[in-house]
Amino acid sequence: MLLIAGTVPVENLSLTVGKAVSESDNLKVAGTNIPCTQGTAAMVSSATATLQYLGLKEAPTVALIGDIGSGTGSKTLYKYLADNIHKLKPQVLALHYLMPIIPLMEKAVTACKECSPSPHLIADAGSMYAAKAAGLSKDFEIMTPDAGEMSFLADPNATHPAYIQHHFLNAESHKVPDLIRQAFERGDAPHTLIVKGSTDFVATSGEVVDTISEPDVPAMEAIGGTGDTITGMVSAFLYAGLEPPHACILAARANRTAGLYAKVTPASRVIEVIRKLPDVFKKHLCEWSGVCIIPQKGKDCLERRDL
Amino acid sequence: MGIFGKKEAVTEGGKGLMLLREVPDAMRAEKVLRKAGFSARLVAPPLQFREGCDLAVETDIVEQVAIKRVLAQGSIPIVRMLPLGTDSIEPVSIVSVVDYGNAAMVRAGNMKMAFDKRTGDILNISGGGCPDVPYLYAQFVGRNLEEVSPPRDIGYTLCALMLDRAFEECLRLYREKSNAVDCGDSAC
Repeated sequence: MLLIAGTVPVENLSLTVGKAVSESDNLKVAGTNIPCTQGTAAMVSSATATLQYLGLKEAPTVALIGDIGSGTGSKTLYKYLADNIHKLKPQVLALHYLMPIIPLMEKAVTACKECSPSPHLIADAGSMYAAKAAGLSKDFEIMTPDAGEMSFLADPNATHPAYIQHHFLNAESHKVPDLIRQAFERGDAPHTLIVKGSTDFVATSGEVVDTISEPDVPAMEAIGGTGDTITGMVSAFLYAGLEPPHACILAARANRTAGLYAKVTPASRVIEVIRKLPDVFKKHLCEWSGVCIIPQKGKDCLERRDL
Repeated sequence: MGIFGKKEAVTEGGKGLMLLREVPDAMRAEKVLRKAGFSARLVAPPLQFREGCDLAVETDIVEQVAIKRVLAQGSIPIVRMLPLGTDSIEPVSIVSVVDYGNAAMVRAGNMKMAFDKRTGDILNISGGGCPDVPYLYAQFVGRNLEEVSPPRDIGYTLCALMLDRAFEECLRLYREKSNAVDCGDSAC
């Protein structure tokens, strides 16, 4: 199971757990419609599109709850994960928009580590802030910061990206590899990182293994949710069996290409990018990765080719 | 005393740190105290008091009785008042701007806001990771900079505070451009 957990901006939405289904521009989970906008909904939508394309019949399972910033929904969700992760037994658990609350993140991660086998953990957004602030980054398989959040991971004293010391700020692209190294050496970065920006950096064990800067679509940075789509694809690719850096590289390429296909502007919505993902996968995934969909009698078949 | 009986905004008697229950309490406290003429600055609480998304108010500790009275009148509960021995860390204050032609995007910390330079319409909000970010997105995107309340009045978290800084800069840039257009070539 791929389990994605996070908050959505739907006031009073109680904890909702179920399979995610994409319907038009909405997500449907356990009969509840969730608008596909920036945040966890965009992440789930891109993960769903990816798994669908790969022909994996199992849609992501999601645990969503309403929280507009008070943290009440986040607290319930942390507790749900800590109490139930051993029953859910996901292979991959991706944590997303949550109020960063260090003690509750510690409990949730401890519960995950007590599972056998323990899930592969991915963190982005508030979950990543909480994991780093709690000193738990090494318990995660992948984190997906943007360049500014990379400064946060590299700053040993920062407990939130709002408190980065000045000398860690202004992370121009050429400084990102140094920040990655520093964060990893201090134990504040997981084994695999994708740092999203005008150039995307993919790193393992503190060293950059690939950079992706084409196609260059500058408007993507302005569009809310275009980082969330990367995290959704990374989660789906990892769940499908790709190695973490490979999952990150493919997600970065696919996201940029979807933005190009959608001809995005700073006024575009993330759903326009998500709608293009199936086209991008169809045209490029086999060529980029060796993950190919082979048409067979009556059904498509997923095949891994070594290129 | 300053004019109209308000205290002048000075910090002379040693800095103190006011810990509050929630980030919105700290944002409100800063606003109320400044309005009442006290010095007040939003800063990070000491590391041992941080839980992840926290904000404190640096103020003048010798004025704590008056400060507590003002905050009590505003129904803002203080958790604790601490003396401050070292320089405190302020939330990130650097902003940068990306020009997209008819649109511009302002970055403040981990938050970004894009607006239409011609109309002042808010086009997008990106970045951040606290749960109020998608909520603020839904409240702001598609509306005009001049007609919305500042993010700090609606949001709850440090991400909302960073978005507020981006919003202020968007508004400043938009008004600057509008004034330049209104004035034409004449000096006004």
